[in-house]
Amino acid sequence: MKKLRQEFADTMLEIGSQDPRLVVMVGDISHSILQPYAKTCPGRYFNIGICEPTIVNMAAGLNKTGLIPVVHTIAPFITERAYEQIKLDFGYQMLSVNIISVGGAFDYSQLGCSHHCYTDVSLISHLKRGTVMLPGSPVEFNKLFKETYANGLINYFRLPEQPHEVEFQAVDIKFGQGIRIREGKDVTIAVIGTQLRNALVASDRLAGRDISVEVLYFHTIKPFDSELLRASVMKTRKFLTVEELSAHDGLYNLCLRACVGINDVATGQIAIEDFVHGYGTYDELCARVGMSPDEIMRSILRLTC
Amino acid sequence: MILNKDLRLKIAQMVKASGEGHIPSSYSIVDLIEHLYGHVLHVDAKNPRWPERDYFILSKGHGCGALYAVLHKYGFLSDQDIADYSTSRGILGGHPDMMTVPGAEASTGSLGHGFPTAVGTALGLRIQQRANRTFALLGDGECHEGTIWESANVAANLRLGNLCAIVDWNGSAAQLMPLDDLPSKWMAFGWEVHEIDGHSADEMRAVFSGLSFVSVGRPKVIIARTVKGKGVSFTEGHGKWHHRVPTDEEMSLISRELAA
Repeated sequence: MKKLRQEFADTMLEIGSQDPRLVVMVGDISHSILQPYAKTCPGRYFNIGICEPTIVNMAAGLNKTGLIPVVHTIAPFITERAYEQIKLDFGYQMLSVNIISVGGAFDYSQLGCSHHCYTDVSLISHLKRGTVMLPGSPVEFNKLFKETYANGLINYFRLPEQPHEVEFQAVDIKFGQGIRIREGKDVTIAVIGTQLRNALVASDRLAGRDISVEVLYFHTIKPFDSELLRASVMKTRKFLTVEELSAHDGLYNLCLRACVGINDVATGQIAIEDFVHGYGTYDELCARVGMSPDEIMRSILRLTC
Repeated sequence: MILNKDLRLKIAQMVKASGEGHIPSSYSIVDLIEHLYGHVLHVDAKNPRWPERDYFILSKGHGCGALYAVLHKYGFLSDQDIADYSTSRGILGGHPDMMTVPGAEASTGSLGHGFPTAVGTALGLRIQQRANRTFALLGDGECHEGTIWESANVAANLRLGNLCAIVDWNGSAAQLMPLDDLPSKWMAFGWEVHEIDGHSADEMRAVFSGLSFVSVGRPKVIIARTVKGKGVSFTEGHGKWHHRVPTDEEMSLISRELAA
């Protein structure tokens, strides 16, 4: 499956060719793969440099003149370092931007915690005009970007390094709508991003133990598809979230809120509690925080037994 | 000679009436802002969002008393707007809010934000081949912020010849960081640097009328030597007046000095 970052470059070329308002600024990453866009849309591509707060402020200035800015760099450097710029420029001043990050959670698994980012989704979600999308496959990014980039809001896209490998059709992808990947009756797994892969493996194995798992996948966190989650939990009365987000403010909280008023719901969460120290492959760091088929199985068994 | 005594009095009256405001920070820039609106900027008070306007961003937002007094003088704000300064009835507060203040291009207050936004505005105008110019007024204390120098670097490398920064060099920065040679610093970043007395009508007229704005070229910076609190003897300088509200007696003295 195509990498999300390549799909980002391809989508910029596609949209930039059609919409002269689109301007892309990057913080010295993805420069090579954006050259087709840069050549096709001359004067609307800028590799500004390593100065993320300024890039965000500049995006506000671009938007003030009627352009549609896209800002692209590594998640912690734009959403955490430059959060005050995002908050004031686009929240307070009600301007619009599209922020496309890579390196969410611990995707840069060999580079240490300086390059990790667990709070990006939470931070943007705090802005009323913020939307948050975590496309896990190329078609999701392409469709969601087209649907939202000119909506006048603060759009945040976290692109994972590894796609989840589930093939969707464009028609299946709708902004703000979750997807029921598998129907089940015993327990609900709510999942985002690459973790869909582990959730599906775990649900296969659990089927062998006569545990029927409903798998719900959310490419959009804000707005959140509460109805889909609620309908599922009304049936199963149990849910587990698997999320490469801070355990303190993410998918689990959204699901809890969606379940208000439903009695006797058992819940579980696999998320990131604190800095994920150490180095290794992405899968190794996933395993360190319990994001593996085995740990998902164990969590489900705790809920169902 | 003290310029704009009427505007200085209005600023003091706003602060006195509301109990909020930065008088000295406004007095050091009121002559510059009055000159810009009176002689330099292409703006329309009847249509503050006129697409052909020049963009002026007050990056040192706490000096907004000066901006409000000038916007009132040139018809952007009403008498009632000024009377309601910093109250729940009004649209004006201790830092400007672009969502409510006609003529305010950015909601500043947190230092180091307005200037990089102005860099983006200048770039956006150039991308669209529009002739509007962008001006940003910065504090010298604000130049402690890293984003100022990130932006100075970016603007010079992008050759934003349609951008002009003005630095209010009133000595605030040097109180903490005495290595304060701002003209040399801006020159080192590749800017076209001009140094003037920010309270001299002749020097402001000479420098602004001589500026050449082009789509691609060196951005310009006017380093304006100013006096914090300029115009009233006891508000001048650095100290307790930075965020002080005049007493009744002090207000009388301010009025008397500015009437002289």
